[in-house]
Amino acid sequence: MSATPIIHLKEIRFRWPGQSADFLYIPELIVNKGEHLFIQGPSGSGKTTLLNLLTGINVPRSGSVMILDTPLEKLTNIGRDRFRADHLGVIFQQFNLLPYLSLVENVQLPCGFSRRKRANAGDMDATALRLLTHLSIPDALLDQPVSKLSVGQQQRTAVARALIGNPEIVIADEPTSALDSDNRDRFLELLFQEAEEQESTLIFVSHDRQIAERFTQMVDLTMINQAEVAE
Amino acid sequence: MKTLIRIVLKSAWHRRISLLFTILSIAISVCLLLGVDKIRKEAKSSFINTISQTDLIVGARGGPVNLLLYSVFRIGNATNNVTWESYEEIVALDEIAWSIPISLGDSHRGFRVMGTNTDYFEYYQYGQSQRLTFAEGIPFSEVYHAVIGRDVADALDYQLGDEIIVAHGLVSAEFAEHDDKPFTVTGVLAKTGTPVDRTVHVSLEGIEAIHVDWQGGTRSAFQLSAEQARNVDLQPKAITAFMVGLDNRINTFRLQRAITEYNEEPLMAIIPGATLAELWQTIVVFEQVLLVISGFVLIAGLLGMLTMLLSTLNERRREMAVLRAVGAHPYHILFLFVLETVFIVFLGYVIGMCLLYSLLVLTQPLLVAWYGINITITRPDAQQWFLFAVVLLLSVIVSLIPGLIAYRQSLQDGLAVKV
Repeated sequence: MSATPIIHLKEIRFRWPGQSADFLYIPELIVNKGEHLFIQGPSGSGKTTLLNLLTGINVPRSGSVMILDTPLEKLTNIGRDRFRADHLGVIFQQFNLLPYLSLVENVQLPCGFSRRKRANAGDMDATALRLLTHLSIPDALLDQPVSKLSVGQQQRTAVARALIGNPEIVIADEPTSALDSDNRDRFLELLFQEAEEQESTLIFVSHDRQIAERFTQMVDLTMINQAEVAE
Repeated sequence: MKTLIRIVLKSAWHRRISLLFTILSIAISVCLLLGVDKIRKEAKSSFINTISQTDLIVGARGGPVNLLLYSVFRIGNATNNVTWESYEEIVALDEIAWSIPISLGDSHRGFRVMGTNTDYFEYYQYGQSQRLTFAEGIPFSEVYHAVIGRDVADALDYQLGDEIIVAHGLVSAEFAEHDDKPFTVTGVLAKTGTPVDRTVHVSLEGIEAIHVDWQGGTRSAFQLSAEQARNVDLQPKAITAFMVGLDNRINTFRLQRAITEYNEEPLMAIIPGATLAELWQTIVVFEQVLLVISGFVLIAGLLGMLTMLLSTLNERRREMAVLRAVGAHPYHILFLFVLETVFIVFLGYVIGMCLLYSLLVLTQPLLVAWYGINITITRPDAQQWFLFAVVLLLSVIVSLIPGLIAYRQSLQDGLAVKV
């Protein structure tokens, strides 16, 4: 199987404004198609920074962020936002959903910002409902306000939102940290199942080593971050 | 774009309670500002339109504005009278084309009673040289006849033939009524939108007749019946003021000087237009202060909205991060705030206008009755549409403050918000 890199980071250097030394330096990081990456590291190790670089929120000071053969650092601000809208799905730790939108509207939200996702989703209502059913959200909850959902249900709804419109990459930032172990396993089960079905690559950030075994590739940020941490 | 508008509407609906009060505060300040502006314009045109084609008003010497107020607007009282001899002598002058004597001092259930003669119905003009017309009936032709204005007829539900009892003085009181000499309504004037609508007109002889047996504000011991009073000499001894029309306007100033220099008694003649303008000048300062205050109230309303927007910024950081994650650009975030603010202010303005119009409809009769200001309800004029545009523009500028802060926050926060 010839490996096509979906993500290719090269000589990435990043520092926050006002910092005198690099906060993050990654010589190389490759994720191939069909692979799922688990990123592990304690807080403060640069997980958020790395995710910001992968999602095009920030650009590195030097180096190249190639995602789907697109060098993000060469795009404009708007270009990167559009790229994120078209090709990425994002799941947060918690509070993923907008309280004033219905469940289905929350799931469909990315289609409002991306023509590509809208086209991929086809019949948006049917697609949203199918995803929610796949992710075991009971039909009875569909008309309920978002606040009536349990944390586990909210996180699974966030998965549906991240997956709608078939993005190539789904980025999950500690999505299970607010879940108990039963809910966590169920969440991961469904996340993987749906990601596989859509052939999306998962980038999963967590400090929970138990999860790591499900992944084909794992990096420890403290290992790959070569920046000399200035105290 | 469609998504953003939907987000704005749903998000606003979610926070509807606090937004409702913001919208209300803007509505009230808009209502106030437009109301002051409306009343200002209406008061002016109502003032200017009250009297027309009268060249001079003559009364006892005193303040010109006061003379105008009591003779034309039925506000306040004369300090002194004009003797009948002076009146007859002056109106006999060659330059004078017509005259209307006025005798004030009595009232009927809150409406002023004015003694005059039938020349009033012929020569008095208001608005753009409009003459008085009768909606029903005919002028008075007899001592105990009365012609009432439209509002009097409407407010007291009077028909032709009804009897009216005139009260002595301006405050209606049981013990000071000329109840022994009732008047019969012979005519109702058509609506003029001026104080004429709120006046009960009787003949000078009628005024004289009801006072025949009165002395110094109370009934004298010698009472005369209505029939007996008819037979007394009802030639008035004095009137309150009189209006004058000239053959040639060129003579106005000369005649005015002549009346001021009249030797027999201290008199004064005013040119209604000039005194109206003078009166307006004294009001205009007050009115402009009021306008400035309402302007500030509107600004306070906008600042209140700004405070509301700023106070929600922190709670909404998570919302912004979610939107950023699904692909919204910081410009979208800025736009979200602009759209929401414009939406709030637009609603506030529209509600404020509706509020104003309903208030105008409700208070219109009261304003006429109490202050003699006749408000015509018209569509917003160009100036008010301009104000609408200015306020919307202001709201965009105001929205840029929270908008730009949210914009910067969402650039800094990215997808990770630690709240």
